[in-house]
Amino acid sequence: MDANLWVSGVVYGLSMGSIFFLLAAGLSLCFGLMRIISLDQLLYYSLGAYVAYQVNVATGLTWPAMVCGALAAGALSWVVERWVFDRIYAREITFTMITSFGILVAGVGAIKYVWGLVPRPMGIPVEAQVALLGVNVPVYRIIVIGVALAVYGLIQWVLNRTIVGTAIRAAVEDVDQVEGLGVDVYRLFTGTFVGAGMLSGLAGALHGPLVMVDPQMGLEVVPFVFMVVIIGGLGSLKGTLVSAFLVGQVVSLGSLIYAPLAQMAPFAAMLLILLWKPTGLYGSALLRR
Amino acid sequence: MSHHHGALSVEGLHVAYGEAQVLFDVHLTVPPGGLVACVGRNGAGKTTLLRTIAGFLRPRAGQVRYGDVDLVGRKPYELARMGIRYVQQDKRVFADLTVRENLRLASSATGDWDWDAVFRYFPRLKALLDRKGGYLSGGERQMLMIGRALLGRPKVLLVDEPTEGLAPAVVEQLGGVFQELKGQATILLVEQNLPLVGRVADKVYAVKEGRVVAEITDREAIRSAAVEAYL
Amino acid sequence: MNGRLRWWAGVLVPFALLAAGRWVLPLPFVVEVLIFSVYTMACNFLLGRVGFISFGQPAYLAAGAYGTAFYLYYFGRDPLVGILVGLASGAVFSALVGLVFVRLRSDYFALVNLALAVIVYHLMQKVLAPITKGDNGLWFLDRMSSTPLLDLARPDGFVWFAWLVAVGVWALYKYLDDTVFGACCLATKTNEDKVKFLGYHDFKVRWTAFVLANTTAALAGSLYGVYFGFVSPEMASAARAADPVVVTILGGTGTLYGPLVGAVAFVGMKDLVSGVVGNWEFFVGLLLVVIMLAGERGIWGTLEPWLRRRLVWRRPAPALQE
Ligand SMILES: Nc1ncnc2c1ncn2[C@@H]1O[C@H](COP(=O)(O)OP(=O)(O)O)[C@@H](O)[C@H]1O
Ligand SMILES: [Mg+2]
Repeated sequence: MDANLWVSGVVYGLSMGSIFFLLAAGLSLCFGLMRIISLDQLLYYSLGAYVAYQVNVATGLTWPAMVCGALAAGALSWVVERWVFDRIYAREITFTMITSFGILVAGVGAIKYVWGLVPRPMGIPVEAQVALLGVNVPVYRIIVIGVALAVYGLIQWVLNRTIVGTAIRAAVEDVDQVEGLGVDVYRLFTGTFVGAGMLSGLAGALHGPLVMVDPQMGLEVVPFVFMVVIIGGLGSLKGTLVSAFLVGQVVSLGSLIYAPLAQMAPFAAMLLILLWKPTGLYGSALLRR
Repeated sequence: MSHHHGALSVEGLHVAYGEAQVLFDVHLTVPPGGLVACVGRNGAGKTTLLRTIAGFLRPRAGQVRYGDVDLVGRKPYELARMGIRYVQQDKRVFADLTVRENLRLASSATGDWDWDAVFRYFPRLKALLDRKGGYLSGGERQMLMIGRALLGRPKVLLVDEPTEGLAPAVVEQLGGVFQELKGQATILLVEQNLPLVGRVADKVYAVKEGRVVAEITDREAIRSAAVEAYL
Repeated sequence: MNGRLRWWAGVLVPFALLAAGRWVLPLPFVVEVLIFSVYTMACNFLLGRVGFISFGQPAYLAAGAYGTAFYLYYFGRDPLVGILVGLASGAVFSALVGLVFVRLRSDYFALVNLALAVIVYHLMQKVLAPITKGDNGLWFLDRMSSTPLLDLARPDGFVWFAWLVAVGVWALYKYLDDTVFGACCLATKTNEDKVKFLGYHDFKVRWTAFVLANTTAALAGSLYGVYFGFVSPEMASAARAADPVVVTILGGTGTLYGPLVGAVAFVGMKDLVSGVVGNWEFFVGLLLVVIMLAGERGIWGTLEPWLRRRLVWRRPAPALQE
């Protein structure tokens, strides 16, 4: 096959993986810290995309529109955390999962109500192409990859170098103990949840120009995000990054080989990995059920 | 270390896990700056008592007071910030955090960085600052846990079976530490090691099947481990 | 003897009510309630008895529906055989999938199942488009031959068939509750170690329960297929993955009458709400959140103790304490 195709395929896969990572990182962090599976992250993803689209249409700006998308997603996730999750953190994981799924479905319904069913095209901030190994690739995709890596670095820095991060790592091990040291863990939860919501919103806003913004977009990425989380292992940030790029590549390169199989291949990979390691590559079997 | 302001008192405490009631009408008092021990078999309800005082469990009925401040209904972190510090059973330190990070986290909420006091009691910790909690021995973990509690300027220390499974030499050292801490904080110590209790306690409560069955204030009786008769 | 009579009364009374509804309520409503209650019984069993939460039920629904559709579109005409084929394809599908899924921790289980639903949707819509006709779906209403006694090809015959199936499935699950198998399922839910201790293999119990429940979901899919004479990928849509879970919880998780009560309430509301506003999903989601926050006992879970007090309802409920 053409080498050009491969280079752009890899870039395409990395950029897809970056979006998956931004979405899955929040999901994974929320699981690690609060032991919830926050399916509503997919709602913040859609909302981020729609708000970015709307601001873009209204003002013509692109990057600021994306920031607005992320902020709006963060704001909604804050409301949901205060009104819903704050009351149910103590419940078992299935309970929070069902509730968050309700929020997702209701939110997608609300989006359909506001923006309708028609997919909306969103302006791309950078149209330029740059030559990479002699192949022209879109600069925007490279920026998306850069953003994801920067976010990964930022989260790692917060976790390992700040006192808040220390508290989060400690609380992942044992929340009660952290609270016993006088740390307001509920604020930690809120902060993490809103942070996750903003990342999801950012993922949606960044993804907007690469696909069409439509009400189903949250549900369309569901399998990939789940695969990323599952392959990487719930609660592991490093695992999430590795598996996000892995899934991105499998989708992208897989479609070069045989298009219809592109979406199935990572699923098959996931099943194989689960057969081998039921809690994913980096997931801990020790986590409370 | 801070000055004590009041007594810790528990009145008519009833605690249940769902349907199963574990504590029945528990009364006890720890005088300001005193060290009171609570003894009882496994499953008697001692941990439940401490967890309730520390705010992790909500009592069905009853009161917990420090001086004249009502403690029931406050969140654990609020109590910890007020100086009510709970040293949990099972020596649970954060396995993935270094000793330094463990201590830093402990002093973050209260903004108190008086680490020297901790190293005075436990010089061993100073050498271990960069070791992860998961690689500490049982005794070192216990030192770290008490050290963490001390960093919060405790007014009240609730200590749950600190010597469980430790070597005699370490138990000896901890006994010395408790003796030094007496007078600086109000201490409620849950302990099954009766000789240690005999050495440090001013008063002993015996707990059996969720009830306080004896209150022993006689020094001689405490020293001679006469409490055993009630267990 | 008396006990057995009461047992059957417990099964038949609610369904007799529904059967009577056949002459009062619109036919599509009754059919929808019947099929949906079968669909929900599977989910109710998984969630309430085995402790599996599955957002992937549409995958199994579609497995049954497409099994039936392929047969009726490409091979035969007899709807009864079609339903059997659907049932078989659902059983095979869930038996295979179950080998991997059942080993997973409950959180991973839920995620993987939802992913499966989306994959099946994609499979039916794109990958297998040459045989599934993609979004256009398979139409076979005219191809179905009449069946003797009850003519499944016609709605007024089909409704009675669906009624019989629903009663049968419901009796099966009611029966299972009283068996050792039912007890084992409940035990896996509460404590996996306990089951091993009892000498039953945890994996086998979970796998059997998984296959049973998902074959039931496939049966519901087959019924839909035959009733509409049409199957499309929409059936596996992740947007509808919430439905069976919502209905289960709406009715009251783990209760016997829950699925039926939930299905009546859900289908009724859907018909009413979608008549007024087009946007039905919003309300499903909201309803789910509200029920969860309100204490997750659902309609039947709330109603039952009240009815029991009022009517001195038969014998006391079988002890299902954990
Ligand atoms: N989380 C819990 N849920 C239910 N019962 C518990 C829980 N924790 C402890 N118990 C029960 O409460 C009783 C007292 O336990 P505990 O306070 O830990 O005793 P002790 O510390 O004196 O050994 C025991 O019978 C124990 O089984
Ligand atoms: Mg104890």
